Amino acid sequence: MEALKNAFDFSDFPRIDLTIAALAALFLLTFPVFPHSSFAMATMIQFLMFSLYGMGWNTIGGYGGQVDLGKAQYVGIGAFTTSVMLIRWNVPFWVSMPMGMFFAVIWSFIIGYPLFRLKGHYFAIATIATSLVLKDIFEVWNFVGAARGLEISPIKFKPPDFLHLIFREDIYYYYVILGFFFLGIMYVNWFRRSRLGFQLRSIKDNEDIARSLGINVHWAKIKTYAIATAFVSLVGSFHACYIKNIEPEDTMSLDISILIALMAMLGGAGSLWGPIIGASILIPLKSYLKEWLGAQAGLVGIDLIIYGAIIMLVSAVEPRGIWGIVEKVRRRKRR
Amino acid sequence: MALLEVHDLHKDFGGLKANEDISFSLEDGELVGLIGPNGAGKTTLFNCIAGLHPVTSGQIIFNGHNITKFNAHEVARLGLARTFQVYVATGDLTVLENVMVGCFMRTRSRSRAKSRAEQILKDFKLHNLSDYLLSELTVAAQKRVTMAAAVGTDPKMLLLDEVAGGLNPNEIEAIMATIRHIHHDLEITVMLIEHVMELVMKVSDRVIVLDSGRKISEGDPNTIARDTNVIKAYLGERYVREHAAELT
Repeated sequence: MEALKNAFDFSDFPRIDLTIAALAALFLLTFPVFPHSSFAMATMIQFLMFSLYGMGWNTIGGYGGQVDLGKAQYVGIGAFTTSVMLIRWNVPFWVSMPMGMFFAVIWSFIIGYPLFRLKGHYFAIATIATSLVLKDIFEVWNFVGAARGLEISPIKFKPPDFLHLIFREDIYYYYVILGFFFLGIMYVNWFRRSRLGFQLRSIKDNEDIARSLGINVHWAKIKTYAIATAFVSLVGSFHACYIKNIEPEDTMSLDISILIALMAMLGGAGSLWGPIIGASILIPLKSYLKEWLGAQAGLVGIDLIIYGAIIMLVSAVEPRGIWGIVEKVRRRKRR
Repeated sequence: MALLEVHDLHKDFGGLKANEDISFSLEDGELVGLIGPNGAGKTTLFNCIAGLHPVTSGQIIFNGHNITKFNAHEVARLGLARTFQVYVATGDLTVLENVMVGCFMRTRSRSRAKSRAEQILKDFKLHNLSDYLLSELTVAAQKRVTMAAAVGTDPKMLLLDEVAGGLNPNEIEAIMATIRHIHHDLEITVMLIEHVMELVMKVSDRVIVLDSGRKISEGDPNTIARDTNVIKAYLGERYVREHAAELT
Protein backbone atom coordinates (compact mmCIF):
# COMPACT_ATOMS: atom_id res chain seq x y z
CA MET A 1 0.00 0.00 0.00
CA GLU A 2 2.73 2.39 1.00
CA ALA A 3 4.52 1.56 -2.24
CA LEU A 4 1.49 2.56 -4.28
CA LYS A 5 1.16 5.78 -2.33
CA ASN A 6 4.83 6.56 -2.90
CA ALA A 7 4.50 5.94 -6.65
CA PHE A 8 1.93 8.74 -6.86
CA ASP A 9 3.73 11.05 -4.46
CA PHE A 10 5.60 13.77 -6.33
CA SER A 11 5.48 16.22 -3.44
CA ASP A 12 9.26 16.65 -3.21
CA PHE A 13 9.33 18.47 -6.56
CA PRO A 14 8.78 22.21 -6.66
CA ARG A 15 5.47 23.41 -8.08
CA ILE A 16 7.04 24.69 -11.30
CA ASP A 17 8.31 21.20 -12.17
CA LEU A 18 4.90 19.69 -11.60
CA THR A 19 3.22 22.38 -13.68
CA ILE A 20 5.59 21.75 -16.57
CA ALA A 21 5.15 17.99 -16.17
CA ALA A 22 1.36 18.35 -16.19
CA LEU A 23 1.46 20.50 -19.32
CA ALA A 24 3.77 18.01 -21.00
CA ALA A 25 1.47 15.15 -20.05
CA LEU A 26 -1.51 17.06 -21.42
CA PHE A 27 0.37 17.66 -24.66
CA LEU A 28 1.32 13.98 -24.95
CA LEU A 29 -2.27 12.89 -24.32
CA THR A 30 -3.73 15.25 -26.92
CA PHE A 31 -0.94 15.21 -29.49
CA PRO A 32 -2.66 12.84 -31.98
CA VAL A 33 -5.74 15.08 -32.05
CA PHE A 34 -3.80 17.90 -33.64
CA PRO A 35 -2.93 17.67 -37.32
CA HIS A 36 0.47 16.04 -37.68
CA SER A 37 2.62 14.35 -40.28
CA SER A 38 3.35 10.63 -40.08
CA PHE A 39 7.00 11.58 -39.62
CA ALA A 40 6.08 13.58 -36.49
CA MET A 41 4.01 10.66 -35.20
CA ALA A 42 6.87 8.21 -35.76
CA THR A 43 9.25 10.59 -33.97
CA MET A 44 6.88 10.88 -31.01
CA ILE A 45 6.61 7.10 -30.70
CA GLN A 46 10.40 6.87 -30.85
CA PHE A 47 10.59 9.55 -28.17
CA LEU A 48 8.31 7.59 -25.84
CA MET A 49 10.17 4.34 -26.50
CA PHE A 50 13.55 5.84 -25.85
CA SER A 51 12.27 7.65 -22.74
CA LEU A 52 11.31 4.24 -21.39
CA TYR A 53 14.63 2.71 -22.38
CA GLY A 54 16.32 5.62 -20.66
CA MET A 55 14.20 5.25 -17.52
CA GLY A 56 15.23 1.62 -17.31
CA TRP A 57 18.88 2.44 -17.86
CA ASN A 58 18.62 5.21 -15.29
CA THR A 59 17.84 2.80 -12.43
CA ILE A 60 21.17 0.99 -12.63
CA GLY A 61 23.20 3.54 -14.61
CA GLY A 62 21.91 6.75 -13.07
CA TYR A 63 20.92 6.00 -9.49
CA GLY A 64 23.46 3.18 -9.17
CA GLY A 65 26.26 4.79 -11.19
CA GLN A 66 26.99 1.54 -13.07
CA VAL A 67 27.50 2.65 -16.66
CA ASP A 68 25.90 -0.04 -18.77
CA LEU A 69 26.52 0.05 -22.51
CA GLY A 70 24.93 -3.29 -23.34
CA LYS A 71 21.22 -2.68 -23.11
CA ALA A 72 20.64 -3.59 -26.78
CA GLN A 73 20.92 -7.29 -25.96
CA TYR A 74 17.76 -7.00 -23.87
CA VAL A 75 15.97 -5.06 -26.59
CA GLY A 76 16.80 -8.06 -28.76
CA ILE A 77 15.60 -10.64 -26.25
CA GLY A 78 12.27 -8.82 -25.84
CA ALA A 79 11.79 -8.19 -29.55
CA PHE A 80 12.71 -11.69 -30.67
CA THR A 81 10.68 -13.43 -27.96
CA THR A 82 7.58 -11.53 -29.03
CA SER A 83 8.24 -12.03 -32.75
CA VAL A 84 9.04 -15.72 -32.53
CA MET A 85 6.03 -16.45 -30.34
CA LEU A 86 3.73 -14.42 -32.52
CA ILE A 87 4.91 -15.86 -35.84
CA ARG A 88 5.25 -19.47 -34.77
CA TRP A 89 2.47 -19.92 -32.25
CA ASN A 90 0.30 -16.86 -32.61
CA VAL A 91 0.90 -15.90 -28.95
CA PRO A 92 -0.69 -12.57 -27.90
CA PHE A 93 1.60 -9.67 -27.08
CA TRP A 94 0.30 -9.56 -23.50
CA VAL A 95 1.67 -13.07 -22.96
CA SER A 96 4.85 -12.88 -25.01
CA MET A 97 5.87 -9.52 -23.52
CA PRO A 98 6.09 -10.86 -19.93
CA MET A 99 7.76 -13.98 -21.30
CA GLY A 100 10.36 -11.80 -23.01
CA MET A 101 10.86 -9.93 -19.75
CA PHE A 102 11.30 -13.23 -17.98
CA PHE A 103 13.94 -14.47 -20.43
CA ALA A 104 15.72 -11.12 -20.37
CA VAL A 105 15.80 -11.04 -16.58
CA ILE A 106 17.14 -14.61 -16.43
CA TRP A 107 19.85 -13.64 -18.90
CA SER A 108 20.59 -10.50 -16.89
CA PHE A 109 21.17 -12.63 -13.78
CA ILE A 110 23.48 -14.96 -15.68
CA ILE A 111 25.68 -12.19 -16.99
CA GLY A 112 25.10 -9.74 -14.11
CA TYR A 113 26.47 -12.10 -11.51
CA PRO A 114 30.02 -12.21 -12.90
CA LEU A 115 29.92 -8.73 -14.49
CA PHE A 116 29.25 -6.90 -11.25
CA ARG A 117 32.54 -8.17 -9.91
CA LEU A 118 33.95 -5.53 -12.24
CA LYS A 119 33.87 -1.80 -11.65
CA GLY A 120 33.81 1.42 -13.65
CA HIS A 121 35.13 1.25 -17.19
CA TYR A 122 35.74 -2.48 -16.98
CA PHE A 123 32.09 -3.05 -16.26
CA ALA A 124 31.05 -0.81 -19.16
CA ILE A 125 33.34 -2.61 -21.60
CA ALA A 126 32.15 -6.04 -20.42
CA THR A 127 28.51 -5.05 -21.00
CA ILE A 128 29.36 -4.01 -24.57
CA ALA A 129 31.07 -7.35 -25.13
CA THR A 130 28.20 -9.49 -23.84
CA SER A 131 25.74 -7.53 -25.93
CA LEU A 132 27.77 -7.99 -29.11
CA VAL A 133 28.26 -11.70 -28.44
CA LEU A 134 24.53 -12.20 -28.01
CA LYS A 135 23.92 -10.29 -31.24
CA ASP A 136 26.33 -12.59 -33.07
CA ILE A 137 24.59 -15.65 -31.65
CA PHE A 138 21.24 -14.35 -32.86
CA GLU A 139 22.72 -13.71 -36.29
CA VAL A 140 23.52 -17.39 -36.81
CA TRP A 141 20.57 -18.85 -34.91
CA ASN A 142 18.05 -20.11 -37.47
CA PHE A 143 15.22 -20.52 -34.98
CA VAL A 144 15.08 -16.73 -34.55
CA GLY A 145 15.59 -16.04 -38.24
CA ALA A 146 19.36 -15.65 -38.14
CA ALA A 147 20.77 -12.56 -39.88
CA ARG A 148 17.65 -12.13 -42.03
CA GLY A 149 15.64 -11.50 -38.91
CA LEU A 150 11.91 -11.96 -38.54
CA GLU A 151 9.00 -10.33 -40.26
CA ILE A 152 5.55 -10.16 -38.77
CA SER A 153 3.08 -10.24 -41.61
CA PRO A 154 0.03 -8.14 -40.71
CA ILE A 155 -2.10 -9.98 -43.27
CA LYS A 156 -2.78 -12.78 -40.80
CA PHE A 157 -4.37 -10.36 -38.39
CA LYS A 158 -7.38 -8.12 -38.53
CA PRO A 159 -6.18 -4.72 -37.36
CA PRO A 160 -6.78 -3.16 -34.98
CA ASP A 161 -5.80 -6.29 -33.07
CA PHE A 162 -5.30 -5.24 -29.47
CA LEU A 163 -4.48 -8.75 -28.35
CA HIS A 164 -1.49 -9.14 -30.64
CA LEU A 165 -0.79 -5.43 -30.85
CA ILE A 166 -1.05 -5.30 -34.64
CA PHE A 167 -2.42 -2.02 -35.92
CA ARG A 168 -2.51 -0.24 -39.23
CA GLU A 169 -2.56 3.29 -37.81
CA ASP A 170 0.27 4.57 -35.64
CA ILE A 171 -2.13 6.30 -33.27
CA TYR A 172 -2.91 2.96 -31.55
CA TYR A 173 0.77 2.27 -31.00
CA TYR A 174 1.13 5.78 -29.71
CA TYR A 175 -1.43 5.34 -26.98
CA VAL A 176 -0.15 1.90 -25.97
CA ILE A 177 3.42 3.16 -25.52
CA LEU A 178 2.12 6.31 -23.82
CA GLY A 179 0.40 4.09 -21.25
CA PHE A 180 3.67 2.27 -20.61
CA PHE A 181 5.41 5.64 -20.42
CA PHE A 182 3.18 6.84 -17.58
CA LEU A 183 3.51 3.50 -15.80
CA GLY A 184 7.28 3.76 -16.18
CA ILE A 185 7.33 7.20 -14.55
CA MET A 186 5.25 5.89 -11.65
CA TYR A 187 7.55 2.94 -11.23
CA VAL A 188 10.75 5.00 -11.23
CA ASN A 189 9.13 7.50 -8.88
CA TRP A 190 8.52 4.65 -6.47
CA PHE A 191 11.95 3.15 -7.09
CA ARG A 192 13.97 6.28 -6.39
CA ARG A 193 12.45 6.58 -2.92
CA SER A 194 12.37 2.88 -2.09
CA ARG A 195 14.90 1.03 0.02
CA LEU A 196 16.56 -0.35 -3.11
CA GLY A 197 16.77 3.14 -4.60
CA PHE A 198 18.48 4.47 -1.49
CA GLN A 199 20.83 1.50 -1.42
CA LEU A 200 21.82 2.15 -5.03
CA ARG A 201 22.47 5.84 -4.43
CA SER A 202 24.59 4.94 -1.42
CA ILE A 203 26.53 2.44 -3.54
CA LYS A 204 27.15 5.11 -6.16
CA ASP A 205 28.48 7.38 -3.43
CA ASN A 206 30.88 4.93 -1.78
CA GLU A 207 30.71 1.14 -1.89
CA ASP A 208 32.62 0.51 1.34
CA ILE A 209 30.32 2.76 3.30
CA ALA A 210 27.28 1.18 1.65
CA ARG A 211 28.57 -2.22 2.76
CA SER A 212 29.14 -1.11 6.31
CA LEU A 213 25.54 0.14 6.41
CA GLY A 214 24.37 -3.41 5.83
CA ILE A 215 23.89 -3.25 2.07
CA ASN A 216 24.68 -6.36 0.04
CA VAL A 217 26.26 -4.34 -2.75
CA HIS A 218 26.59 -7.15 -5.30
CA TRP A 219 23.02 -8.34 -4.88
CA ALA A 220 21.55 -4.82 -4.91
CA LYS A 221 23.28 -4.17 -8.25
CA ILE A 222 22.07 -7.45 -9.75
CA LYS A 223 18.49 -6.78 -8.64
CA THR A 224 18.49 -3.31 -10.12
CA TYR A 225 20.11 -4.52 -13.30
CA ALA A 226 17.18 -6.93 -13.64
CA ILE A 227 14.73 -4.04 -13.19
CA ALA A 228 16.48 -2.03 -15.90
CA THR A 229 16.43 -5.12 -18.10
CA ALA A 230 12.69 -5.63 -17.64
CA PHE A 231 12.03 -2.07 -18.82
CA VAL A 232 14.21 -2.47 -21.88
CA SER A 233 12.79 -5.87 -22.80
CA LEU A 234 9.22 -4.55 -22.56
CA VAL A 235 9.96 -1.79 -25.03
CA GLY A 236 11.80 -4.33 -27.20
CA SER A 237 8.63 -6.43 -27.38
CA PHE A 238 6.64 -3.35 -28.31
CA HIS A 239 9.27 -2.45 -30.90
CA ALA A 240 8.80 -5.85 -32.59
CA CYS A 241 5.05 -5.33 -33.01
CA TYR A 242 5.47 -1.73 -34.06
CA ILE A 243 8.27 -2.14 -36.61
CA LYS A 244 7.16 -5.68 -37.60
CA ASN A 245 10.53 -6.42 -39.15
CA ILE A 246 13.45 -6.99 -36.84
CA GLU A 247 17.03 -8.01 -37.51
CA PRO A 248 19.78 -8.49 -34.94
CA GLU A 249 21.86 -5.91 -36.81
CA ASP A 250 19.25 -3.18 -36.14
CA THR A 251 17.70 -4.06 -32.81
CA MET A 252 20.82 -5.25 -31.03
CA SER A 253 23.47 -2.95 -32.41
CA LEU A 254 25.93 -1.01 -30.29
CA ASP A 255 24.30 2.24 -31.51
CA ILE A 256 21.12 1.33 -29.67
CA SER A 257 23.00 0.56 -26.46
CA ILE A 258 24.82 3.88 -26.60
CA LEU A 259 21.69 5.84 -27.48
CA ILE A 260 19.88 4.30 -24.50
CA ALA A 261 22.66 5.35 -22.15
CA LEU A 262 22.84 8.76 -23.79
CA MET A 263 19.18 9.58 -23.09
CA ALA A 264 19.73 9.45 -19.36
CA MET A 265 23.26 10.86 -19.40
CA LEU A 266 22.35 13.97 -21.37
CA GLY A 267 19.06 14.63 -19.57
CA GLY A 268 20.39 13.85 -16.13
CA ALA A 269 21.49 10.47 -14.82
CA GLY A 270 19.98 9.69 -11.44
CA SER A 271 16.94 11.94 -11.75
CA LEU A 272 13.34 11.15 -12.55
CA TRP A 273 12.95 13.58 -15.45
CA GLY A 274 16.45 13.14 -16.88
CA PRO A 275 15.80 10.36 -19.43
CA ILE A 276 12.65 12.12 -20.66
CA ILE A 277 14.49 15.40 -21.15
CA GLY A 278 17.31 13.56 -22.87
CA ALA A 279 14.97 11.73 -25.20
CA SER A 280 13.04 14.89 -26.03
CA ILE A 281 16.29 16.42 -27.29
CA LEU A 282 18.04 13.43 -28.79
CA ILE A 283 15.21 11.72 -30.65
CA PRO A 284 14.20 14.70 -32.80
CA LEU A 285 17.92 15.34 -33.31
CA LYS A 286 18.47 11.72 -34.30
CA SER A 287 15.55 11.72 -36.74
CA TYR A 288 16.73 14.97 -38.25
CA LEU A 289 20.33 13.86 -38.54
CA LYS A 290 19.45 10.49 -40.05
CA GLU A 291 16.70 11.61 -42.42
CA TRP A 292 18.09 14.91 -43.62
CA LEU A 293 21.77 15.29 -43.09
CA GLY A 294 22.52 11.58 -43.39
CA ALA A 295 20.40 10.63 -46.35
CA GLN A 296 20.16 13.86 -48.33
CA ALA A 297 23.47 15.58 -47.78
CA GLY A 298 25.32 12.28 -47.84
CA LEU A 299 26.89 12.90 -44.45
CA VAL A 300 26.54 9.31 -43.30
CA GLY A 301 27.78 8.76 -39.78
CA ILE A 302 27.42 12.36 -38.67
CA ASP A 303 24.94 11.26 -36.01
CA LEU A 304 27.63 9.12 -34.38
CA ILE A 305 30.05 12.04 -34.35
CA ILE A 306 27.47 14.20 -32.63
CA TYR A 307 26.65 11.53 -30.03
CA GLY A 308 30.35 11.26 -29.28
CA ALA A 309 30.59 15.00 -28.84
CA ILE A 310 27.61 14.97 -26.47
CA ILE A 311 29.18 12.25 -24.32
CA MET A 312 32.38 14.27 -24.05
CA LEU A 313 30.52 17.49 -23.32
CA VAL A 314 28.38 15.95 -20.59
CA SER A 315 31.26 14.28 -18.81
CA ALA A 316 33.42 17.40 -18.98
CA VAL A 317 30.83 20.06 -18.04
CA GLU A 318 28.30 18.38 -15.76
CA PRO A 319 28.31 14.61 -15.26
CA ARG A 320 24.76 14.80 -14.02
CA GLY A 321 23.51 16.22 -17.29
CA ILE A 322 20.94 18.93 -17.92
CA TRP A 323 19.01 18.14 -14.77
CA GLY A 324 22.26 18.38 -12.83
CA ILE A 325 22.66 21.97 -14.03
CA VAL A 326 19.06 22.80 -13.06
CA GLU A 327 19.60 21.41 -9.57
CA LYS A 328 22.88 23.23 -9.15
CA VAL A 329 21.28 26.56 -10.02
CA ARG A 330 18.40 25.86 -7.63
CA ARG A 331 20.75 24.99 -4.79
CA ARG A 332 22.69 28.19 -5.32
CA LYS A 333 19.51 30.25 -5.31
CA ARG A 334 18.33 28.69 -2.07
CA ARG A 335 21.49 29.56 -0.18
CA MET B 1 29.91 -12.67 28.28
CA ALA B 2 32.10 -10.47 26.15
CA LEU B 3 30.37 -8.69 23.27
CA LEU B 4 33.41 -8.78 21.00
CA GLU B 5 36.30 -11.21 21.24
CA VAL B 6 39.32 -11.17 18.99
CA HIS B 7 41.63 -14.19 19.20
CA ASP B 8 45.17 -14.31 17.75
CA LEU B 9 44.28 -12.14 14.79
CA HIS B 10 46.83 -12.01 11.96
CA LYS B 11 46.54 -9.94 8.83
CA ASP B 12 49.21 -9.92 6.12
CA PHE B 13 49.33 -7.81 3.00
CA GLY B 14 51.83 -9.80 0.98
CA GLY B 15 55.03 -9.49 2.98
CA LEU B 16 53.70 -6.78 5.26
CA LYS B 17 52.36 -7.97 8.59
CA ALA B 18 49.73 -5.33 9.34
CA ASN B 19 48.25 -7.12 12.34
CA GLU B 20 50.12 -9.77 14.32
CA ASP B 21 48.75 -11.93 17.06
CA ILE B 22 46.20 -9.49 18.38
CA SER B 23 43.80 -10.64 21.08
CA PHE B 24 41.42 -8.61 23.18
CA SER B 25 37.80 -8.53 24.23
CA LEU B 26 35.16 -5.91 24.87
CA GLU B 27 32.37 -6.18 27.42
CA ASP B 28 28.87 -5.02 26.60
CA GLY B 29 28.60 -1.30 27.41
CA GLU B 30 32.29 -0.47 27.40
CA LEU B 31 33.93 2.44 25.63
CA VAL B 32 37.39 1.43 24.52
CA GLY B 33 40.02 3.55 22.82
CA LEU B 34 42.43 2.14 20.27
CA ILE B 35 45.60 4.18 19.90
CA GLY B 36 49.01 3.82 18.36
CA PRO B 37 51.40 5.68 16.08
CA ASN B 38 50.68 6.01 12.36
CA GLY B 39 50.94 2.69 10.57
CA ALA B 40 50.36 0.68 13.73
CA GLY B 41 47.55 -1.26 12.08
CA LYS B 42 44.54 0.30 13.80
CA THR B 43 42.40 0.85 10.71
CA THR B 44 43.39 -2.57 9.35
CA LEU B 45 42.16 -4.09 12.59
CA PHE B 46 38.83 -2.27 12.18
CA ASN B 47 38.57 -3.42 8.59
CA CYS B 48 39.18 -7.02 9.64
CA ILE B 49 36.57 -6.87 12.38
CA ALA B 50 34.03 -5.15 10.12
CA GLY B 51 34.51 -7.73 7.36
CA LEU B 52 36.09 -5.42 4.80
CA HIS B 53 39.37 -7.36 4.79
CA PRO B 54 39.56 -11.14 4.96
CA VAL B 55 41.75 -12.07 7.93
CA THR B 56 44.85 -14.21 7.43
CA SER B 57 44.30 -16.22 10.60
CA GLY B 58 42.59 -15.91 13.95
CA GLN B 59 39.01 -15.63 15.09
CA ILE B 60 36.54 -12.85 15.68
CA ILE B 61 33.47 -13.53 17.80
CA PHE B 62 30.73 -10.93 18.01
CA ASN B 63 27.75 -11.40 20.30
CA GLY B 64 28.21 -15.17 20.20
CA HIS B 65 28.55 -15.37 16.39
CA ASN B 66 31.79 -16.30 14.72
CA ILE B 67 32.07 -13.43 12.22
CA THR B 68 35.62 -14.17 11.06
CA LYS B 69 34.52 -15.01 7.52
CA PHE B 70 31.51 -12.70 7.31
CA ASN B 71 31.10 -10.02 4.64
CA ALA B 72 30.84 -6.39 5.70
CA HIS B 73 27.08 -6.20 5.20
CA GLU B 74 26.51 -9.37 7.20
CA VAL B 75 28.58 -7.99 10.07
CA ALA B 76 26.55 -4.76 9.94
CA ARG B 77 23.28 -6.67 10.02
CA LEU B 78 24.41 -8.48 13.19
CA GLY B 79 24.67 -5.08 14.86
CA LEU B 80 28.31 -4.10 14.44
CA ALA B 81 28.49 -0.74 12.64
CA ARG B 82 31.46 1.41 11.76
CA THR B 83 32.44 4.81 10.40
CA PHE B 84 35.30 5.67 8.08
CA GLN B 85 38.28 7.89 8.61
CA VAL B 86 38.21 9.52 5.19
CA TYR B 87 34.84 10.26 3.75
CA VAL B 88 34.75 11.57 0.22
CA ALA B 89 31.33 13.11 -0.19
CA THR B 90 30.57 13.30 -3.87
CA GLY B 91 27.08 11.88 -4.00
CA ASP B 92 23.75 13.59 -4.30
CA LEU B 93 22.36 12.23 -1.03
CA THR B 94 21.35 14.87 1.49
CA VAL B 95 22.15 14.59 5.19
CA LEU B 96 18.70 13.20 5.93
CA GLU B 97 18.97 10.71 3.06
CA ASN B 98 22.38 9.54 4.24
CA VAL B 99 20.96 8.71 7.64
CA MET B 100 17.92 7.10 5.98
CA VAL B 101 20.23 4.68 4.15
CA GLY B 102 21.35 3.45 7.56
CA CYS B 103 17.78 3.25 8.85
CA PHE B 104 16.69 1.25 5.79
CA MET B 105 18.78 -1.64 7.05
CA ARG B 106 16.10 -2.50 9.62
CA THR B 107 12.97 -1.55 7.71
CA ARG B 108 11.57 -1.59 4.18
CA SER B 109 9.13 1.19 4.91
CA ARG B 110 10.17 4.61 3.67
CA SER B 111 8.06 6.50 6.19
CA ARG B 112 9.49 4.53 9.11
CA ALA B 113 13.07 5.02 7.87
CA LYS B 114 12.41 8.72 7.43
CA SER B 115 10.88 9.35 10.84
CA ARG B 116 13.67 7.41 12.52
CA ALA B 117 16.33 9.33 10.61
CA GLU B 118 14.70 12.61 11.61
CA GLN B 119 14.71 11.52 15.24
CA ILE B 120 18.40 10.58 15.11
CA LEU B 121 19.31 13.90 13.48
CA LYS B 122 17.42 15.71 16.21
CA ASP B 123 19.28 13.74 18.91
CA PHE B 124 22.57 14.54 17.18
CA LYS B 125 21.55 18.22 16.91
CA LEU B 126 21.96 18.05 13.14
CA HIS B 127 18.31 18.54 12.19
CA ASN B 128 18.84 22.04 10.85
CA LEU B 129 21.28 20.59 8.29
CA SER B 130 19.00 17.82 6.99
CA ASP B 131 18.55 19.23 3.48
CA TYR B 132 22.21 19.98 2.80
CA LEU B 133 24.48 17.80 0.72
CA LEU B 134 27.35 16.24 2.61
CA SER B 135 29.83 18.14 0.45
CA GLU B 136 28.34 21.42 1.68
CA LEU B 137 29.16 20.71 5.34
CA THR B 138 32.28 21.17 7.45
CA VAL B 139 34.41 18.08 8.07
CA ALA B 140 33.21 18.00 11.67
CA ALA B 141 29.57 17.98 10.65
CA GLN B 142 30.26 15.35 7.96
CA LYS B 143 31.77 13.06 10.57
CA ARG B 144 28.78 13.49 12.85
CA VAL B 145 26.48 12.66 9.92
CA THR B 146 28.36 9.44 9.19
CA MET B 147 28.06 8.57 12.89
CA ALA B 148 24.33 9.27 12.70
CA ALA B 149 24.02 7.03 9.61
CA ALA B 150 25.83 4.22 11.45
CA VAL B 151 23.54 4.67 14.45
CA GLY B 152 20.62 4.40 12.01
CA THR B 153 21.45 0.73 11.55
CA ASP B 154 20.56 0.27 15.23
CA PRO B 155 23.89 -1.31 16.21
CA LYS B 156 24.92 -3.00 19.45
CA MET B 157 28.44 -1.83 18.87
CA LEU B 158 30.03 0.97 16.90
CA LEU B 159 33.59 1.23 15.58
CA LEU B 160 34.60 4.88 15.18
CA ASP B 161 37.63 5.52 13.01
CA GLU B 162 39.27 8.88 13.82
CA VAL B 163 36.18 10.96 14.23
CA ALA B 164 38.09 13.89 15.73
CA GLY B 165 41.06 14.00 13.36
CA GLY B 166 41.80 17.50 12.03
CA LEU B 167 39.10 19.26 14.02
CA ASN B 168 39.40 22.40 16.14
CA PRO B 169 38.85 22.35 19.94
CA ASN B 170 35.20 23.46 19.70
CA GLU B 171 34.43 20.80 17.14
CA ILE B 172 36.17 18.20 19.28
CA GLU B 173 33.88 19.22 22.16
CA ALA B 174 30.86 18.61 19.93
CA ILE B 175 32.18 15.24 18.75
CA MET B 176 32.88 14.25 22.34
CA ALA B 177 29.29 15.10 23.28
CA THR B 178 28.09 12.99 20.35
CA ILE B 179 30.23 10.04 21.42
CA ARG B 180 28.93 10.32 24.96
CA HIS B 181 25.37 10.47 23.63
CA ILE B 182 25.93 7.29 21.59
CA HIS B 183 27.55 5.47 24.49
CA HIS B 184 25.53 6.73 27.39
CA ASP B 185 22.04 7.50 26.09
CA LEU B 186 21.83 4.98 23.27
CA GLU B 187 23.77 2.35 25.25
CA ILE B 188 25.91 1.35 22.32
CA THR B 189 29.29 -0.23 23.00
CA VAL B 190 31.96 1.89 21.35
CA MET B 191 35.48 1.25 20.17
CA LEU B 192 37.29 4.24 18.77
CA ILE B 193 40.54 4.90 16.96
CA GLU B 194 41.83 8.32 17.83
CA HIS B 195 44.95 10.43 17.68
CA VAL B 196 43.49 13.27 19.72
CA MET B 197 44.69 12.11 23.13
CA GLU B 198 42.64 14.47 25.26
CA LEU B 199 39.52 12.91 23.72
CA VAL B 200 40.61 9.29 24.12
CA MET B 201 41.83 9.76 27.65
CA LYS B 202 38.69 11.61 28.69
CA VAL B 203 36.04 9.32 27.29
CA SER B 204 37.57 5.83 27.32
CA ASP B 205 37.01 3.25 30.05
CA ARG B 206 39.97 1.34 28.73
CA VAL B 207 42.65 1.87 26.10
CA ILE B 208 44.36 -0.65 23.81
CA VAL B 209 47.67 0.34 22.25
CA LEU B 210 49.01 -1.02 18.97
CA ASP B 211 52.48 -0.55 17.55
CA SER B 212 53.84 -2.09 14.35
CA GLY B 213 50.87 -4.41 14.13
CA ARG B 214 51.13 -5.79 17.67
CA LYS B 215 49.24 -5.05 20.82
CA ILE B 216 51.79 -3.54 23.20
CA SER B 217 49.62 -2.46 26.07
CA GLU B 218 46.12 -2.41 27.45
CA GLY B 219 44.58 -0.82 30.53
CA ASP B 220 42.80 2.19 31.94
CA PRO B 221 43.82 5.57 30.51
CA ASN B 222 45.95 6.62 33.50
CA THR B 223 48.03 3.45 33.50
CA ILE B 224 48.51 3.64 29.75
CA ALA B 225 49.77 7.21 29.94
CA ARG B 226 52.58 6.05 32.23
CA ASP B 227 53.38 2.78 30.44
CA THR B 228 57.00 2.85 29.21
CA ASN B 229 56.22 0.65 26.23
CA VAL B 230 53.61 3.13 25.05
CA ILE B 231 55.87 6.12 25.57
CA LYS B 232 58.61 4.30 23.70
CA ALA B 233 56.28 3.68 20.77
CA TYR B 234 55.28 7.31 20.57
CA LEU B 235 58.45 9.15 21.55
CA GLY B 236 61.24 6.67 20.81
CA GLU B 237 63.62 4.61 22.91
CA ARG B 238 66.06 7.46 23.46
CA TYR B 239 63.43 9.64 25.09
CA VAL B 240 62.60 6.86 27.54
CA ARG B 241 66.28 6.34 28.39
CA GLU B 242 66.96 10.03 28.94
CA HIS B 243 63.86 10.63 31.00
CA ALA B 244 64.00 7.39 32.95
CA ALA B 245 64.00 9.21 36.27
CA GLU B 246 60.81 11.22 35.62
CA LEU B 247 58.92 8.28 34.22
CA THR B 248 59.07 6.04 37.25
